[in-house]
Amino acid sequence: MKQYAIVPFAAAALFLLASCTKDPIKNLNADENRLYITNRDSSTNFSSFKTFSISDSVAIIRNDRQHEKTRDAFDTAFIAAVSNAMVQRGFVPVPKDQNPDLGINVSNIINTYSGYVDYGNYYNDYYGYWDPYYWGYPGYGYYGSYIGTYQVNEGVISVDMFNLKDAAANGKIKAIWNGVIRGTGNDNIANISSNVKALFDQSPYIKVTQ
Amino acid sequence: MKKIQYIAIGCLLFCSTTVVAQTNDLTLKINYGAGIPVGSFKDVISNTSYRGFGAELMYHINKSVAVGLETGSQDFYQKYPRQLYKAGDGSDISAVLTNSIQAVPIMLKGQYNFLAGKAVQPYVALAAGGNIIRFNQYAGQFTNDAKTKFGFAASPEAGVYIPFGRYKRAGFSVGAGYNFMPFNYSDISNLNNISAKVGISFPLD
Repeated sequence: MKQYAIVPFAAAALFLLASCTKDPIKNLNADENRLYITNRDSSTNFSSFKTFSISDSVAIIRNDRQHEKTRDAFDTAFIAAVSNAMVQRGFVPVPKDQNPDLGINVSNIINTYSGYVDYGNYYNDYYGYWDPYYWGYPGYGYYGSYIGTYQVNEGVISVDMFNLKDAAANGKIKAIWNGVIRGTGNDNIANISSNVKALFDQSPYIKVTQ
Repeated sequence: MKKIQYIAIGCLLFCSTTVVAQTNDLTLKINYGAGIPVGSFKDVISNTSYRGFGAELMYHINKSVAVGLETGSQDFYQKYPRQLYKAGDGSDISAVLTNSIQAVPIMLKGQYNFLAGKAVQPYVALAAGGNIIRFNQYAGQFTNDAKTKFGFAASPEAGVYIPFGRYKRAGFSVGAGYNFMPFNYSDISNLNNISAKVGISFPLD
């Protein structure tokens, strides 16, 4: 029966070798996990704006409903990082009651109920998350058709930029830019600087002078 | 996918234990192999794979000719540095893209050894059959594209076989082959690669 000794040996060797697949996820470092996605309204000339205002808190949108607005250490640091990036591009920060040309909202979108977030729903329900009253335009609606619809299965940080300068003339508030940070570490305060930098680095058109 | 590998390997080993009782001319060969992408495959993955193995159950008709079954696995992988991609909806996506491909051949094989009975025996072989191919593309940690297909596979091979041990019934071999692996999916047409392998053969009687 000596001949059968080879069989378990061969089986063990094969099973061992069969597990030698390089796992793509495990071979990513912490920064490589993340995606930075930006959308813009191609008809918008960003140099036509001079001032901006950014919301003072972050909307936590859980399962397609606004859960709360928060202003913890992460939120404050993130808002400051976006504001600094805008200043570096030549825009001037002003209080929201001084007719800013641009309005910027930051949201943290989480969906634990269905396991995914439909970004289309996010924009359809935007009025409920960020009442235009906040920007001094009560009763106005948001619009902007350029924004893609995709699904995500984890929390995302979303930065949304709106044209307030022409809101009164249009009767609506137009979404002109959106930046999304997906992936592990997107809500880590240590990554805020590099995450915000990534969004703006791939959006060189956001600047006062073209 | 690993289940399929295990089933294939299990079938091979089951055959080996059942057929061995009926013949005195069966060998089992275990290979370690590297895969070198060629042609358009290099547009998807250009890295050489050093994660491959194979198993061959061969029935020796005579001292020169053997026929049998071959299976195994080769794992191809490449991670591309972060760069900006344009998505279909017009958005810009900055991502680290990873392509991961596993190929599991299940083929019939014929082999001819020259200089049978000598200390060094050159050989040529031809295997043909099917390939289970799993393709996965990741953007960062997220699956971007995935496809598993079963398709035709063929592999001509040449090398040398060096028998050793009592009665010279075990042996060491070194060989190289060309793996034809058609795979029509997305922008990919084939996963052709050159394989280099070393193996040890054992008699199963």
